[in-house]
Amino acid sequence: MSSRRAEMLCLAALLAFCACEWDLWGIVTRKTVEQRVQENLTGQPPAPGPVSVNPDSFRFAVFGDPQIVHDNVNMLGRFKQDIAARDIDFFCVLGDLTNDATTDEVDSIKLDLDRVGVPCYVTIGNHDLFQADGWERFKENYGPSCFRVVIAHRIKLIFLDTADGTIGPTQFDWLEKELRDSPFIKIVLTHYPVYDGEEPIMWRLASPVERAKLQSLLGKYDVYAWCAGHIHGWRHAVVEGVNHFTCGTMASGELDYGSGKGYLLFTFAHDSLLWQQVVFE
Amino acid sequence: MTKLPAALALAGATCYAAVASSVLLGYRGEPGVESKMLVTARADIVPIQYLKVDAGLSFNLFQNNGLGVAGLGLGVVLFSPAGLTLRFAAQHQQWNDWQAGESRALATIEAGPVFGLEAGFGVARRVPVFGADDYRSPFGWKSDAAEWNYVYRLAWKFLQKENWWLKTGFSSYDLFTLHSPQQFPLRLSGSYALKDNLDLVADVGTAIVGYSGGLVSFHELTLNAGVKYEF
Repeated sequence: MSSRRAEMLCLAALLAFCACEWDLWGIVTRKTVEQRVQENLTGQPPAPGPVSVNPDSFRFAVFGDPQIVHDNVNMLGRFKQDIAARDIDFFCVLGDLTNDATTDEVDSIKLDLDRVGVPCYVTIGNHDLFQADGWERFKENYGPSCFRVVIAHRIKLIFLDTADGTIGPTQFDWLEKELRDSPFIKIVLTHYPVYDGEEPIMWRLASPVERAKLQSLLGKYDVYAWCAGHIHGWRHAVVEGVNHFTCGTMASGELDYGSGKGYLLFTFAHDSLLWQQVVFE
Repeated sequence: MTKLPAALALAGATCYAAVASSVLLGYRGEPGVESKMLVTARADIVPIQYLKVDAGLSFNLFQNNGLGVAGLGLGVVLFSPAGLTLRFAAQHQQWNDWQAGESRALATIEAGPVFGLEAGFGVARRVPVFGADDYRSPFGWKSDAAEWNYVYRLAWKFLQKENWWLKTGFSSYDLFTLHSPQQFPLRLSGSYALKDNLDLVADVGTAIVGYSGGLVSFHELTLNAGVKYEF
């Protein structure tokens, strides 16, 4: 490589670095998952309460990563049509609401989620922390990033904060307590997948030891499913009786793999829970 | 093609062998996941020229007590001036309290030391196994959670004195561990010659996680110290 070309490459890298909308100092000095979870568990802000549904029959959708950018293009308009068509009672969003967490993006996605017209539960993703005030804005709009809610005394939804790619000691203890004490069907909803196919990718939860302990807990307490986003695609595997879903995305851009534009739909009826992938054509 | 078997036979006939063994006491901690003491024994054997064998066992104390990891590696030296070696290895790790285990196979190309540098890269198959009946078995190679990982290492002996040296670098694998592509492991190791053939050895390591998502944090700490004897 000529020195001239090397200089140009360095200059391009520097420009890209400066032009990035992420607040790099804010990212470095952000509150860690441990600090966020400790805040969550103080009860301030309060966790969202259970939505009102027919306890014998209800439906909810799960998806990740609307990840809007400044043009605010996403699939939520298409999703809103399904709310009525499929009689969906509420939905869950698995983080990465925006790409850069700028004020404009945060306000736009909040408006779009409200416009869907049914209640939603939200947990946090890594992109939601790409500005210094990312965590504060998230709390303000959606409440804690780690909480649980029981729907119709049937299903316990446990929302975890994995935005840092790890769980942290306090949240691990809290998770085990929530799993241990529950007679309900249990579903964990969070940003990072534990397992996601065989390829050598770097978008799963980071530590293999953490993943081993986690899977051991999920199996031990008969968890029905681990629902994740982060990767823009659809994947399903059953590991020791636990469903592992990468749930699809509402982002407008290219998929990482597969037919992932859409969402995961759960239907509770006749005392059992069924799931279905809904693909946006 | 006839030269290689002849060379191996000649080397075997001359009883070429070198053995180094080490015993270490250590600690591994990962926030919220585990905090345990380690007792590790390993042997590095060169039974014949151009062949390297390394094997070892690691035991856990205070958490997931008992056998933690067994590792076995076999390397064939392809070009000795550069230390170019094709290495195959197998590991089995288990966490007894969690009834969880993981079998691993690695294939790597390694080089060095050259000017104090060592490097390696390759692929690994990671096969998690769960359940009371299966997790202990090193022969469990089927799992719905299996995955391929790439592996790498680069180490630099940046300080070499008469009786001691220090080495630093990053390595996603060794005889007992296989980090995931989502982790970036860093390590500092050193050795001090106590007397002929006997060295005091130690290492400290950590791993950066979250970098693939742009949110970086340090996630684990390993410490080991012990002695190494060359026969």
